[in-house]
Amino acid sequence: MTTRQRTLKTVLWALIGIFGVVTIARFVGGLGATTGLNDATPWGFWIAFDVMAGVALAAGGFVLAAAVYIFRLEQYKGFARPAILTALLGYAAVAVGLLYDLGLPWHIWHPIVFPQPRSVLFEVAMCVMIYLTVLLFEFSPAILEHRLFNRPLFRTVHRLIKKLTIVLVIAGIVLSTLHQSSLGSLFLIAPHRVHPLWYSPIIWILFYISAIGLGLMMVTLESFFSAWYFGHPLKLKQLSGLGRAAGSVLLGYAALRLGDLATRGGLAQAFDGSGMAALFWFELSLGALVPGLLLMFSRVRSSSAGLLVTALMTVFGVIGYRFDVAIVAFGRPDGVSYFPSWIEIAVSLGVVACALMVFIWLVERLRVYPEDEEPHSPEPTGAVAPRLAGSLRLLLPHSMSAPRRYSLAAMLGAVGAIFLLADGDLFGAQLAATPVSAPRTIEGKLIDHSAARLMVVDGNRDGRGVLFAHDQHVEDLGDKEACEMCHHQRLPFDSQSACSDCHRDMYLATDIFDHSSHINHLEGRQGCSRCHRNADQVKTRETATPCADCHQGMIVTGSSITPPTGGSTGLAVGYLDAMHGLCISCHQRESAADATEPSTGDCALCHQKQAVASWRHIGPYAAPAKPGDTK
Amino acid sequence: MTIRQAILTDTTHCIGCNACVDACKKENQLSKDLPRRWKRRIDDLSSTRFTTVLAKSGGRFVRQQCRHCLEPACVSACIVGALTKTPQGPVIYDGDKCMGCRYCMVACPYGIPRYDWEKPIPYVRKCTMCYSRIEAGGQPACVDACDQGATVFGPRDQLREEAHHRLKRNPKKYIDKVYGETQVGGTSVLYVSDIPLDFLSLNPELGDTPLPDLTWAALSKVPPIILGMGGLMAGVWWITGRRQKLAGTVETATDKKEKKS
Repeated sequence: MTTRQRTLKTVLWALIGIFGVVTIARFVGGLGATTGLNDATPWGFWIAFDVMAGVALAAGGFVLAAAVYIFRLEQYKGFARPAILTALLGYAAVAVGLLYDLGLPWHIWHPIVFPQPRSVLFEVAMCVMIYLTVLLFEFSPAILEHRLFNRPLFRTVHRLIKKLTIVLVIAGIVLSTLHQSSLGSLFLIAPHRVHPLWYSPIIWILFYISAIGLGLMMVTLESFFSAWYFGHPLKLKQLSGLGRAAGSVLLGYAALRLGDLATRGGLAQAFDGSGMAALFWFELSLGALVPGLLLMFSRVRSSSAGLLVTALMTVFGVIGYRFDVAIVAFGRPDGVSYFPSWIEIAVSLGVVACALMVFIWLVERLRVYPEDEEPHSPEPTGAVAPRLAGSLRLLLPHSMSAPRRYSLAAMLGAVGAIFLLADGDLFGAQLAATPVSAPRTIEGKLIDHSAARLMVVDGNRDGRGVLFAHDQHVEDLGDKEACEMCHHQRLPFDSQSACSDCHRDMYLATDIFDHSSHINHLEGRQGCSRCHRNADQVKTRETATPCADCHQGMIVTGSSITPPTGGSTGLAVGYLDAMHGLCISCHQRESAADATEPSTGDCALCHQKQAVASWRHIGPYAAPAKPGDTK
Repeated sequence: MTIRQAILTDTTHCIGCNACVDACKKENQLSKDLPRRWKRRIDDLSSTRFTTVLAKSGGRFVRQQCRHCLEPACVSACIVGALTKTPQGPVIYDGDKCMGCRYCMVACPYGIPRYDWEKPIPYVRKCTMCYSRIEAGGQPACVDACDQGATVFGPRDQLREEAHHRLKRNPKKYIDKVYGETQVGGTSVLYVSDIPLDFLSLNPELGDTPLPDLTWAALSKVPPIILGMGGLMAGVWWITGRRQKLAGTVETATDKKEKKS
């Protein structure tokens, strides 16, 4: 085994080790605790990468099968079997990735028994399922050729499948055509969400054509991999033929996309200088325009560097197209965003690592590549692998036996993942046992005021300190059960709630008017007229009797706050106004007379830092703060 | 025939008392709202809050809830038929069928369905218009709770007439539009209002086309694609085979000639 083979396998095993740990985390903690998904982002990284990109990347299988068996382009025969194996493993990876994304993965078989043919997703699911079976049959000759199956029964099966080849190939092409395009059709239902530069009534045709181009370039990339890893000779002549086909397909895709945009009058939007327009051009250039044009030159096509670069560009660009449609160009309400958590990425990498491992394992045992490709030793031309190997050698020396080396790599990966999970993702469900970070205590000030244990915290992260009775909160909210109400579930960038999440009344006038209790006290509907005096008027707050008409005792004498008259009478004054207007004046008076009273009158007690002016920055009732309006 | 029921909300009558929210929570046995990242950010709806009263400037209150569209995008999107449109109007959900793909959440033009993100066994959560109460001849809990008559329940045709009647009787007060009458093919929750309610949908430019028609345009092409692609491939296969055969016979013929001479 060569160094680069050993190195790649070590890395893959480490990824699989991480994958094992995050798998447990995902299914114990649930989607909310382990992903960045939210109500405005129902689909994230797993759908975009594992499903959308995964299916597109596996398109090489049906494209090559068509070229070799339907168009009988015999020179590409050597590519067909590895491409079909890649497709088989790719689709298997899609299915596994989907298990992580589904909320109820044990219901994954439900589409078979509860079919809903109006759903695009139903069509995708059925096609992918049947195609996975077809691929298994298409690949089965490679398995049946193995000496293990050299028995009369298996030989008969083998002959039968060989006879059915053309049927299988045609079925595979039809199924691929359907679901490659339907992955685009999925988004037809969301014209209100997908950005107009990406939304198109023919998005399904664009998905299909771009998948063909991508499939061809993936076959190219795969040849580079097998040359790098197994030492198979690079068949440049054939690859250049594939490159020419891919180039035309990609240019066709780009032209169709731009033409469609132009006919629908959306081209202006592509030149409006916005970030989305820039992304549109970047993605289209990377995935189709630039590699398509480059591949038109035979000098690029016939050089291995040119092919490698264009293949990589296409792969990233077309995957980018899927990502844009599913995530970036998918609209969300203001203030809601999505970024994948590391667990989402680790799961996807783990699935890819498993698929690659199975690929290598099968190639080592079955005749996936034609016999004429005798591997030569690939050592030691590559530059990247030995360098990476050098750093790995310290950790996992060459002298170590393979099983021991790989187990160690997997274990190291797993331990690393557990370390990353330590902030509670793994045990997210067990709230009481999770450690919570300290409140944002300002300069560590802890004022032990009798039993309440007061501390000064910056609860709203606006640079201002307030007195906060921690123990009192714990007690009032129901002991440790309630920790999560403030300390959340240790989500990224969101370790605690702002005070205003619960105390919405702190900085804004709040609705404290309880309509139903008024009805009860005023003896049901007879009491309506007590407040809604004018029967002709619509019964609204504005037309109702001001609260203070009945509740005269509510007005504090000497207060700087005058209760509102007329409309909006059910609103209590904000905490700020209450403190300044209703409380402080009394406290000042009282503490002047009696030193034991808490001296709320001392401004510096609350206003530790006086710089910030934005008090009333939240809430529907609040008027925008004027500069210097700090009182 | 079952009468198609609907809810009409008149925002000018709403005083923002939140009695509908309380009633909804009680009826559906929803737990209290926790301040969490995935909740209360968008429109205050959450997996524990199926309806909510949004306070708008000028003392206006607007109730947000599931529209129970006449041709619901979520129902057409659902891969297993867990969401269904009942003849009485409500769009209801069957968690036993759901597999959690969340395509309904992608499809909904109002962003209504919410997910139990924090639970290891999550379900889609949304208003069901109190379907069990309607089946028993009653009306939704939120309507029951409204003292102001700001939200009323009844046959959709009648409520539509009532809505237009209100607009006609008081044209200065209302915006001349019955929200939900035609949007995305019409909804079972109608609004009349004195402030624009475009903010209630994810995109103010929602047309009148029912969203399921958009996907159906592509889906209906499945049979022709199967036949066309299958036929095309079989045809090409036959032609290439024939060509090879002909080339073969020509070759063998010339071979024979060469041998003879």
